[in-house]
Amino acid sequence: MKRKSLSTLAAALSCFFLPSALCSAQSSDTPPGNSSQNQTPPAQQQTPAAQLPNAPSSSKSEPSLEDLGFSASQTQADAQRQALLDKRTHMLKVHQRLGLIAAIPITATVIASFGAGGKDTSSASRDLHAALGGVAGDLYFASAYYAIRAPRIPGTTTRGPIRFHKAMAWIHGPGMIATPILGIMAFDQKSKGEKVHGIASAHGPVAIVTAGAFGAALLSVSVKF
Amino acid sequence: MRMTAKTKLLALCLVLAIPALALAADSAWVLQQSTLTYHISHPLHQSEGVSHEARGKAICHAGQCDFLIAVPVKSFDSGDSNRDLHMLQVTRGAQYPMVTVRTRLPESASASTTVQADLEVQFAGQTAQYKQVTFQLAPDGKNIRLTGTIPATLADFKIDPPTLLTLPVKNEMPIRVEMTWQPQ
Repeated sequence: MKRKSLSTLAAALSCFFLPSALCSAQSSDTPPGNSSQNQTPPAQQQTPAAQLPNAPSSSKSEPSLEDLGFSASQTQADAQRQALLDKRTHMLKVHQRLGLIAAIPITATVIASFGAGGKDTSSASRDLHAALGGVAGDLYFASAYYAIRAPRIPGTTTRGPIRFHKAMAWIHGPGMIATPILGIMAFDQKSKGEKVHGIASAHGPVAIVTAGAFGAALLSVSVKF
Repeated sequence: MRMTAKTKLLALCLVLAIPALALAADSAWVLQQSTLTYHISHPLHQSEGVSHEARGKAICHAGQCDFLIAVPVKSFDSGDSNRDLHMLQVTRGAQYPMVTVRTRLPESASASTTVQADLEVQFAGQTAQYKQVTFQLAPDGKNIRLTGTIPATLADFKIDPPTLLTLPVKNEMPIRVEMTWQPQ
């Protein structure tokens, strides 16, 4: 009787310290010789868990990511999102490259504009100015295409200098449409020997504002203010 | 005297309880608050990204503490969403969303003013080891404040240096660590 109470006390004590899976065997009436089988299930469970990269540590001596309370969604890889980020970066790199290249003919067009006036019905400087403007427009819209078509990443809000960069697009975008239209009107009037008049006379000011906004947009993401 | 099956089982349980007791943690520490700051240099820019979302735990046993600190890559904020998304892309942050740091320090180090730690950093799908990184320790009530800089580089994690205006950023990417650990 005394031995029985002692063994019950021992069972209670070991249950307190041992993992529940191991001690759950105590409650069942296990036949003799089966005690070694009771250790098998935990050992089998550890094998697949150890193969998982973020599996909880089998030994309590090292903490695991699960111990830190991160959810599965925070720690799991998202290949689709990575592919979206890769595509976005690629398209914005092309946008940046084309934008930088476009800056060259845009600057050249502004410089060539000083010789594009005059009273002659035709001049090489005016033709050069028009040709440079055409090249600048093509490169500009190719660059804009990549910026507009770059995928948006869900759950992100626009912060920092990129907001100014995007705001400038609302100025230079319409400006790059209006400037060549006004330029063609001005070119036609000049070709007819007329003085530039009407809405075509806005070609110069619109172009200056457009080029200024384009330059500011470029600098806003290049140089820290 | 013949042992019954129940007695045998109980004896086994007691024998197994000894290593279980030995494995039990003596103490634990929890990361209470943190500021992690990476620094990137470019000829036209100096940029910093900050995260306050690191979580960490240390389990101490037999005078040694095993530390694990983890932080989501996307939690770093440089003040420019475009740069942060680009950082996320080049570091493969959607594929490998966590940065983890593991180290082992002697429990007695909590009483020192400096500690040298061997760090194992997992980031961008790569693992880098940093030997003998110096951290300053300062008591803050019951807590301990730890500060230091991990001398990480982009090459350590096989990250292609991002470029701006065709100029790449420098390879060096030091990470400033400021942490407050609380005994659990």
